[in-house]
Amino acid sequence: MSAWSRLSGPLLKYAGVAFLVAAWAIVPVVAGRSTVDILVFTALYTIAGLGVAFLLGQCGIVSLAQSVFFGIGAYSTAYGVTVLGWPATVSMVTGVTLSGFIAAAVGIPVLRLSGYFLALATLALAIIGQVLFLEWDWLTGGTLGIGGITPISLFGYSLNTPFRFYYFVWPIVIVVIWLHYNLLQSRTGIAMRAMRDAPSAAAVIGVNIARLKVKIFVLSAVLGSFAGSLFAHYVSFVSVDSFGVDRAINFLLIAVLGGVRSIAGTVLGAFFVTSAPHLLSQFGDVHALLFAALLIVAVIYLPGGFGGAIAQAWRKLSGESRVAENVGGVRRP
Amino acid sequence: MSAVLEVRQISHHFGGLHVLRGVNFSVAEGSVTGLIGPNGAGKSTLFNIISGFLRPTEGEIIDSGETITRLTIQQRSYAGLIRTFQTPQVFGQLTVRENLIAGCYKQGRTGVIKSLLKFPAVRLELAEAARLADQTCIEFGLEAVSDQLAGRLPAGQRRLVELARAAISKPRLLCLDEPSSGLSSEEVAQLMRILHQLTKAGITILLVSHDMDLMEISSVIYVLCFGEIIASGSMSELQADPQVREAYLGV
Repeated sequence: MSAWSRLSGPLLKYAGVAFLVAAWAIVPVVAGRSTVDILVFTALYTIAGLGVAFLLGQCGIVSLAQSVFFGIGAYSTAYGVTVLGWPATVSMVTGVTLSGFIAAAVGIPVLRLSGYFLALATLALAIIGQVLFLEWDWLTGGTLGIGGITPISLFGYSLNTPFRFYYFVWPIVIVVIWLHYNLLQSRTGIAMRAMRDAPSAAAVIGVNIARLKVKIFVLSAVLGSFAGSLFAHYVSFVSVDSFGVDRAINFLLIAVLGGVRSIAGTVLGAFFVTSAPHLLSQFGDVHALLFAALLIVAVIYLPGGFGGAIAQAWRKLSGESRVAENVGGVRRP
Repeated sequence: MSAVLEVRQISHHFGGLHVLRGVNFSVAEGSVTGLIGPNGAGKSTLFNIISGFLRPTEGEIIDSGETITRLTIQQRSYAGLIRTFQTPQVFGQLTVRENLIAGCYKQGRTGVIKSLLKFPAVRLELAEAARLADQTCIEFGLEAVSDQLAGRLPAGQRRLVELARAAISKPRLLCLDEPSSGLSSEEVAQLMRILHQLTKAGITILLVSHDMDLMEISSVIYVLCFGEIIASGSMSELQADPQVREAYLGV
């Protein structure tokens, strides 16, 4: 093996990373406000979508309930900040804690189900959430919503423009992705995938399946709630329209389009779900139809999602035989 | 020799169907104990009751003097009771090596939080599991396929992966359900060698099988027929028993 070919792999990787970072830093400077806006939403939805992708890809749990936790986070922040006058962090932590407890309470009975039954049960949760967000108007403002949520302030620096929020939220996404990778590369990560592939055998090797499922569901809910809180600060106004079943489906779409086994793919899934409707809206009334058509095309031609497509391209490019297919696989030392 | 496992007065019925009626037997420490019986005799039900997948309608399962009838599957696993399945259950989307690393789950301690934050213990634990896995791959002749996805292996090798995973997860009592079915004759010979090694390492084995050649390694064999133990003894004793010949051996 020549020195170049030995070096080219890592070099390619570092060059790619450097390019991505540079592109990321420069986008707000060259792109318009609406592009930055889309990228901020991409980040927010990536955080919530990762929770769903993780459940689906690593644990085999289909969750349509993420909109509920996204909503709980958003309303906790909205109510805490505007009505109770709490600081942003306290409101956010309250939302995250509340979501965690609710996920545990709901998860213990619901996660006993599997397959379609589980998917339907989580859909029911999304519907219940939507109804409660609407009916408990003393808390959520009902259809009128809650407005006037102040932007996050960091060391006296207000994140009150998309540009500022953009530079704040993407590093958070990176941290969340890092946490995900860590979990995958652990005993727990292996146990999750074992449980996904053969639950009875996982129980035999000592995995407490019921407990592990609830733990991961709580983790997913915490991410949803966190993203919801950030969302509330960013848009400054929350109403029940943002936390309906369609949002729940969007989160699942992000996971599926991204390729449930690929973390990087989830970012692309989130980007697709936020940007495609926006781009298609110039076609007028048919935009929803076009979006649906685009989805069908994506699902047919990219069965492994964007993540799967990237992994394949990377394999071709670098000549490596086995990358990304087994995200979090334990590599040889 | 003391009994590792005692099955006491186990009865089970699904609705009106009585699958097991007052089954009693014991598995001596360090032995290979066989369980045979015609299809529908209740072997799988009994196996599921022993391993915790089913709660019996009546009776007790005793593990080294302690009643484990109400323990969960994972509690039994931590107590050293490991089973395999009639249809081998491998983690299909994991490599063979990762299957074995998963088998070391009980030896680890780190939880979700430590894993998320990448505590050094997480990596050390995984490295130790990986070392054990590589060693076990060699012992079971799986090193050539160690990086392949377990779900893509032929049936015989899947069975071997399952057995290797069971062996790595610190069993005291290994319950094997039809371990030789679907195996080629060379693979059966390999299986016999492995079972010998396992017993030599002090592991007790409870064996359910239709394979009479494999059954030869059992010191005691119980014959289950229509939910009752109708006979027990060594292979040669059973072959001489007219009741067993009629019910099962068909000779």
